[in-house]
Formats: sequence, C-alpha cells, structure tokens
Amino acid sequence: MKISQIGIGRLLQVSSFLVIVGLALEIVSLLWFHPLSFVLFAFLAASLIGLGILVYLVSLVFIAVPPAANRE
Amino acid sequence: MIGILICQIVLSIALASIFLIRPSLTHAASWKILAFIGLCVLPALCLVGGMNTHVQRSEQTQFCISCHVMIPYGQSLYVDDPGHIPAQHFQNHRVPADTACHACHADYTIYGPLKDKMQGLKRIYMQYVSTPPDPAAIRIEGGFKNAQCLHCHLGARSFGENPIHAAMMDSLKSEQTSCLTSGCHDTAHDVANLSQLKMWRPTQ
Repeated sequence: MKISQIGIGRLLQVSSFLVIVGLALEIVSLLWFHPLSFVLFAFLAASLIGLGILVYLVSLVFIAVPPAANRE
Repeated sequence: MIGILICQIVLSIALASIFLIRPSLTHAASWKILAFIGLCVLPALCLVGGMNTHVQRSEQTQFCISCHVMIPYGQSLYVDDPGHIPAQHFQNHRVPADTACHACHADYTIYGPLKDKMQGLKRIYMQYVSTPPDPAAIRIEGGFKNAQCLHCHLGARSFGENPIHAAMMDSLKSEQTSCLTSGCHDTAHDVANLSQLKMWRPTQ
C-alpha cells in the first residue's frame, strides 16, 4: 500500500495514538519508584513517543510532496 | 520538578487527543502549527525531561537499595564502626547521603554514565529473568578502582599531606596499589557478617 493511499488524516491519527500511549506510559514510569520503571520508560514509552514523532514527520513530508496533477 | 513534567505531559496528551479525534483540523494553518507543537515539540521535550528525571532518580540511594539483593548493602551503610569505609563516608556525609551509592560507584569517565546504565540493565536482567546472585557473592567486575576514591580525595589537603598517601601517590594513581585490597582500607560492605555487627541509629 502506498503512503498516499493511507492519507494524512490516518497518519496523524496513528501518530497521535502512539504519542498518547507513550506519554501515558511515561507518566506511569515517573510515578512508579522502581528499577523497572526505567526499563518501562526507556524501552516502551520512549520508543512509542519516538515512533509517534517519526510518523508525524513522515506525514509532513507527505504534505510537502505536490500532487502529481499539479507538477506540470 | 516531576509535577511540572507531568503537567507538560498532560498538556501534550490533551493536544495529541485533539488530532486523534479530529485530524481534519490540520487543514487550517494555525492548527498545523498546533499539531507541530503537540505531536513533535512537546513530546520531544517530554522525552528529554523524562530521561533526565529517570537518570537523576537512578542516582538515589533509595533507588539502588530498592532491588532485593542490594538491601544488605544499604544496611551496611549503618554499621557503627569507623573502619567500615562506606559506612564512615555515609554517616559523616563525606558523600551526599541521598546519592551515596552513586558517589562511590559511578564511572566518572566520558562514557561512564552509559556504561553504568548498561550495567544497571544487566542487573535488572539478572534480578527478573535469570538467577539473582547471593548478595555476599557480588563482586565489582575488574575490582573497585582507585579512580573512584581519587575523584574526591585527590587534591584534598588531609589526603595529600598524609605521609603514607604521599609516598605511594604514583602507585595509587596508576592502580598498582589498591586503596581497598592492599590492606589499608580493606573493610567495605561486609554483608556476610552484617547480623553480627553493631548498627548506628541516626537521631532525627
């Protein structure tokens, strides 16, 4: 499936979802005073937030590419 | 500090929720800017803030002794005997009491914090996945380095003017003579005999 078929709206929703879940896990890791909270933050929360940001940036690139019909 | 970070995270979640429910809002220019803040800038700041908080937290004595095998090491800081080096440093605040473990066991080289984090993850793996070691059998890989002691003591008047230290300074700096195992300051965390030792009870 091409990225244009997915649509910017869907990419933004995926990005928002990943960021929200990652940030929620970060709150849990901050309130939980335990060595495992660092693992939760570093491996789960940070990965999800990073992936969410990446998906958002991909959607920006997608917006920046002009539609094929307007190129000429 | 954590309160401010949590407020920032909640704000970021609230902003991201808007674009989860109504992604079509980003057609307007002002919403595009808000989307950039809510889905890129704020989450990135939350990540940096979270990492900073977790790193600071992992330096606390309470954090280190929250692992089951480290409990006797935490107790050994209260041994009522000036010959016990960690206890003497902890009780007399020669190291900050709330970051006592980190003060003596941190790797102060450039990539030291990264190495420390990798060691910490290895210990978490041992604690939760493989078999946790017997507390009395835990040894530092490669032995305790003089550099840890010299990080604070080198240049201190009482240390430098001590004739024994002065005579063997080069040997101490080059790690040829160990501060701990050479017989001078050889009692560190004596966890094997902890139950037989007298404990200091701090008065509030």
